[in-house]
Amino acid sequence: MQMTGLTLAGVTKSFGAVQVIKGVDLQVPVGAFCVFVGPSGCGKSTLLRMISGLDEVTAGTITIGGQDVTWAEPSARGIAMVFQSYALYPHMTVAQNIGFGLSLARLPKDQIAAKVAHAAALLQMSALLDRKPKQLSGGQRQRVAIGRAIVRDPKVFLFDEPLSNLDASLRAQMRLELTDLHKRIGATMIYVTHDQVEAMTMADQIVVLNAGRIEQVGTPMELYRAPATAFVAGFIGSPRMNLLGGPAATGLGCATYGIRPEHVALSTDEGRWPGVVRHLERLGPDALVYLLADGVGEIVARVEGETPLAPGDRVHASPLAGREHRFDDGGRRMMSIHPA
Amino acid sequence: MRQRRSRRPVWVGLAAMAAFLAVFVIPFWFIFLQAMKDRRGAGRLNFAWPESWHFWGNLVEVVQTRDYLLLLAFFNSILITLGAVTLLVIFASMVGFVLSRRRTRLNGVVMALVLAGLMIPPAVVPTIWVLQGLNLFKTLHGMILIQVAYGLSFSILLYRAFIAGIPRELDEAAIIDGARPWQVFLRVILPLLKPVTVTNIVVQSIGIFNDFTNPLYYLPGRENVTVQLTLFNFQSQFSSQYNLLFMNILLITIPPLIVFIFFNRQIVAGMTAGAIKG
Repeated sequence: MQMTGLTLAGVTKSFGAVQVIKGVDLQVPVGAFCVFVGPSGCGKSTLLRMISGLDEVTAGTITIGGQDVTWAEPSARGIAMVFQSYALYPHMTVAQNIGFGLSLARLPKDQIAAKVAHAAALLQMSALLDRKPKQLSGGQRQRVAIGRAIVRDPKVFLFDEPLSNLDASLRAQMRLELTDLHKRIGATMIYVTHDQVEAMTMADQIVVLNAGRIEQVGTPMELYRAPATAFVAGFIGSPRMNLLGGPAATGLGCATYGIRPEHVALSTDEGRWPGVVRHLERLGPDALVYLLADGVGEIVARVEGETPLAPGDRVHASPLAGREHRFDDGGRRMMSIHPA
Repeated sequence: MRQRRSRRPVWVGLAAMAAFLAVFVIPFWFIFLQAMKDRRGAGRLNFAWPESWHFWGNLVEVVQTRDYLLLLAFFNSILITLGAVTLLVIFASMVGFVLSRRRTRLNGVVMALVLAGLMIPPAVVPTIWVLQGLNLFKTLHGMILIQVAYGLSFSILLYRAFIAGIPRELDEAAIIDGARPWQVFLRVILPLLKPVTVTNIVVQSIGIFNDFTNPLYYLPGRENVTVQLTLFNFQSQFSSQYNLLFMNILLITIPPLIVFIFFNRQIVAGMTAGAIKG
């Protein structure tokens, strides 16, 4: 059996009578970059806090690197956490922030300095060590928070929406840096986000959570190609998958029928769904066509950017063969009828 | 826009300045004038210019009265103030930390007690009875404990509100870094409390230093005299030496004034703050 970095077995969490985590089983391999993704309120942050030890589990066990840490102190679990607000100590310099955990562990000063310098070099901020957090930009604060995690030399890194306070271009850059960092350090990383783009671009393993349960675990492309539930189908992928219900879906042999915008072909003369172009978004390389299909509803199609269409045009839309998704009335993927 | 701004405040500003003058400057000017006069001149209690200047003479006489009682009073008052404010800062910051961070049912009870401490007036006679039972009556450390008890509620409320504005993620980051609860407090929270601590020091020390009634009740005895009680030296039923009385007032106003001038800016910061930008 492959060694696991992190194992959750039957983990539940209740606040009073409300169960927010309803039995989660998960295995994260050593060195994996695992992303918890889901809409707000799905329990992903709670799950992360339970792994960190900041919140207690109501039932179940948590194992890190083969050790049961369900009831261990946060500092004894071999984890480090990067918070959404970075949580830098405002009265300490960058060096003191990074070395705080080491000084609590009463390491000799020269060792602390060496470890801090190493982490700072790794994050390219050796020049900033004497600054206070107030004097740093958002991206630099982010790096200090990561540096504080690195010096703890943890088995598992925990990230709680670390990029949500950054602007879009910085976020793209930090995504790359985090992925690079993961390759260099090789530690297991658990990353919580509500942004499916971050999940798709960074993860080895995506865990989609919904209402306190795991919907699906898999690699980004597994989730993209074969979402296990209608919820995952709607959540992973941008723009969103077209999900059709009602008679339009029943006619196709399922309760919910899904087709991604990039897998919809438009034709002027024939196709499965005739309709009228309601709205057109030209993004440059491609364009999104919002089609009001007769008797079906709205279908979004992603077409080549220069496609000569205008609102009001009549077109026919058809799904690409083998790219259709069918879900039963419980929202689960129907495997047998139409193999992909 | 500039016109609109300049039209309004002329008379508002003048009114504010007049009010300020009446409330703060005129009484102080009155004290200053009487302190410079001789006994007869001061006895008239008016704003007349002193006929002759007796600043140094009055000063020496006030200090020497009753075998340098004023110096003993300064010593006692400063000791009580320092002791009480030190204990207040230590206890109130710790209680405020626990109240704002720990989630237990006890919090409601403790908060009710804190508010009770603000609202229920202190009962003098039972307090003396308790002090006597503890052998603390007529002692400076007993007086310190009383001042701590009277000031604790207000200080706790100030600290609690301020700490509530410090993001909890800071505590959590420290816990993950391996800090024990007392290390979270001493190394992460306490250094951030500087503004509200300054506010506490100023407000409480001025209050305790200027306290008249509580030393009067709880700290009788010539050797226990505090500065406010020295005012009795020059005022009695049949004769009052107003020049010396006002010189005495002038002298004991100086320490609070110094504290206030030094910390003036931080006080406002501590009162209005509550947020630490991360």
